Amino acid sequence: MTVQTAQGPTPPADPGRHLASPTTRSALRIQHHLLGAAREFLRGEGFTELLPPVIGPVTDPGARGSKQVDIDFYGHRYKLMTSAILYKQASLLAFDKIFCVAPNVRLEPLETAGTNRHLVEFHQLDVEVAGASREQITALVEQLVVHMVRSTAAALPAEFEELGRDTDAFHGLLQGAFERVRHSDAVLDLRAAGHDQNPDAELDWEGEALLSAKAGRPFFVTDYPKGSRGFYDRECPGEPGLLRNFDLIAPEGYGELCSGSERTNEYADIITRMRETGENPQKYRWYLDLVREGIPASAGFGIGVERLTRYVAGLDAVWQASAYPKLAGVVSP
Amino acid sequence: MSDLAAPGFPEEAVRLRARTGAAAAFPPAGDYGQVLFGAGPDGPDGLTGPADRLDALRLAPPVFMEQRLAKLIELGREPTYQDVDLRTTIGGLRSTAPVYLSALGSTRAAAGDLGPALSRQAGALGIPMVIGENVVPVNGYGRLGEAAGRSLLGRLTAYTERLADGVGGVAVQQSTEDADAEVWNLVHSDPAARPLLDSGRLAFELKVGQGAKPGLGGMTVLDEAAAARVADRYGLDPLFEGQRVLRSSSPGTFTEEILRQQVRLMRNNFPRVRIWVKLHPGRDVAAAVRTAVEAGADAVTVDGAEGGTGWAPAAFPRHVGLPLAECLRRLGALPSGPPPGRLLVSGRMWEGSRAVKSLALGATAVGLGRAALLAVAEDPQDGLIRLVECLRTEMRLLISSLGKYAPDALGPEDVCSPDGWS
Repeated sequence: MTVQTAQGPTPPADPGRHLASPTTRSALRIQHHLLGAAREFLRGEGFTELLPPVIGPVTDPGARGSKQVDIDFYGHRYKLMTSAILYKQASLLAFDKIFCVAPNVRLEPLETAGTNRHLVEFHQLDVEVAGASREQITALVEQLVVHMVRSTAAALPAEFEELGRDTDAFHGLLQGAFERVRHSDAVLDLRAAGHDQNPDAELDWEGEALLSAKAGRPFFVTDYPKGSRGFYDRECPGEPGLLRNFDLIAPEGYGELCSGSERTNEYADIITRMRETGENPQKYRWYLDLVREGIPASAGFGIGVERLTRYVAGLDAVWQASAYPKLAGVVSP
Repeated sequence: MSDLAAPGFPEEAVRLRARTGAAAAFPPAGDYGQVLFGAGPDGPDGLTGPADRLDALRLAPPVFMEQRLAKLIELGREPTYQDVDLRTTIGGLRSTAPVYLSALGSTRAAAGDLGPALSRQAGALGIPMVIGENVVPVNGYGRLGEAAGRSLLGRLTAYTERLADGVGGVAVQQSTEDADAEVWNLVHSDPAARPLLDSGRLAFELKVGQGAKPGLGGMTVLDEAAAARVADRYGLDPLFEGQRVLRSSSPGTFTEEILRQQVRLMRNNFPRVRIWVKLHPGRDVAAAVRTAVEAGADAVTVDGAEGGTGWAPAAFPRHVGLPLAECLRRLGALPSGPPPGRLLVSGRMWEGSRAVKSLALGATAVGLGRAALLAVAEDPQDGLIRLVECLRTEMRLLISSLGKYAPDALGPEDVCSPDGWS
């Protein structure tokens, strides 16, 4: 496979120049409003916002090919969070509907520095709902994204003008009811277009970009194969080997905005899936102890805050949506 | 010359090759005309035994040689053994011979200067090298100032020192416990590994098991202080006198579905990396090879019960696991035969006949373990280089005697078993 290596603009070495640039200011105002709108919407739907942990003995292993950051916690190896997934599931013991804006750190492979869509440090708007199905959670994603974009586009015309982003681009998005495409159908589409997509894997970056570029509005890709995702995405009981999960892909070539799924919550299923994903269950002790006592069935998702900002603001690269961007292998504040 | 020893292994013969290179493929030149040679009851060199079925097989050159005629036409002259082209693609990595350096892990024998010496010589030879599990957990990665040569980074650097363009490559192993150290993710995002990654010469090997102790994980003996430092990660058993402790890795749990999905996940996460799987010689080895290949592995290594450099409980080498010959027989009995171009084997490999028989029975390449260690113990500068020179010469002699001129031209017709093979 060829990895997308198109070099977009690179962050200025001087962080002061980046922060003072009109593009950065407009992008960050849009991001600020998107998050405010999300909080407004989710509180209205009865969600409780939690402050997520930054470190823990274990974190999400499901990040494709990236390295976790180890820290020395009084002689114990702890991790910076790569995602809040384990804590999201656990938090349902307190509340049925939770969300958080969670910082994540992933030491991505070096070649991602040039993809315009990877940051080593980024944030996710994480949502988890006890007892929800994939149909219910994707409906929630639709409503949430429509609300965030509608509210922001209406509130900040000057910022969109500064960035040269035509808000007519959101016409299709604001209709809601995003299309659902099964992963296996997306693979067929890509192969028909001459792209050699591995049917057992995630859509690769090039394939995802191809689908995204020809879409006029966001769409869901559902039912990824098991070997492509973490142990917490629930396997479909009726279709073994497929997962009850989804990605939301933005149009115009911006690519993935959000990943989510129904969750695995049965102890034996989680242990087995951990082995299928090459994990050593021993290190997940606190989580497995909770699971053994019982955690609710749930579904949830995480929206990449900087990626959503990039799409909405029409930015060339995702680092432009971060005040202090960190790209793979680039030393920066 | 170090004090390294390998009882039960043809140690002196390996040391001779490490000193004298290809000359050791022949009887002492001084004996010519004075000594009569021939196969003794335990094989021609008195070092191998009829109990090993692979050793008991004979290579069987035909009289009529169609492939020799084809080579004659190609060359416009009668071909010789020097016309055998040994270049082979091993698990997606191009090698100068159907030979690779097996994982030597974190065993004490491979530590110190031997690990870097092996890496340097394997690179110079242009043969792939496997870096064993536990190297990162035990010796460190090397970016933060750990003993440089022993670390994974140290071995990578030594390997690439004299590596020619377009050949060789490194396969980095990870086992269940190593998953905690994220060895693959670490290598995948490291600048030092990038030249190998960008040139398609990086592989990751999923370690399912090993020949010396099938069904068990890695084992080492540590003093109490060293054991205490790894107590949170490994099983410890204070079995020995002198405050020494047995440290065991877990072997990891595999089912057919777990193996299939782990291979798929590796392909998903590391699309530019070659995917290798190492199996112990289990009774269902043929099914496991098939599962790994169908899931997309570029290579599957079968480590025969006679393989291994690591420490193993006394009962295991003699009583546990299938010998390599039996593994090859079971793979040969698959309806589709051994997977073409993807099967790597190891187990007492050091000279040409055992290697060529393995290739004839479906292997694409053979791994050197103990022999490589002994060779660099004999001569840290060039021991492995000479050993492989000798092996190459012997392989060329044997392959050409069969009327063939490339390793992948070999087939089961080239071996003969007095008691029938399958």
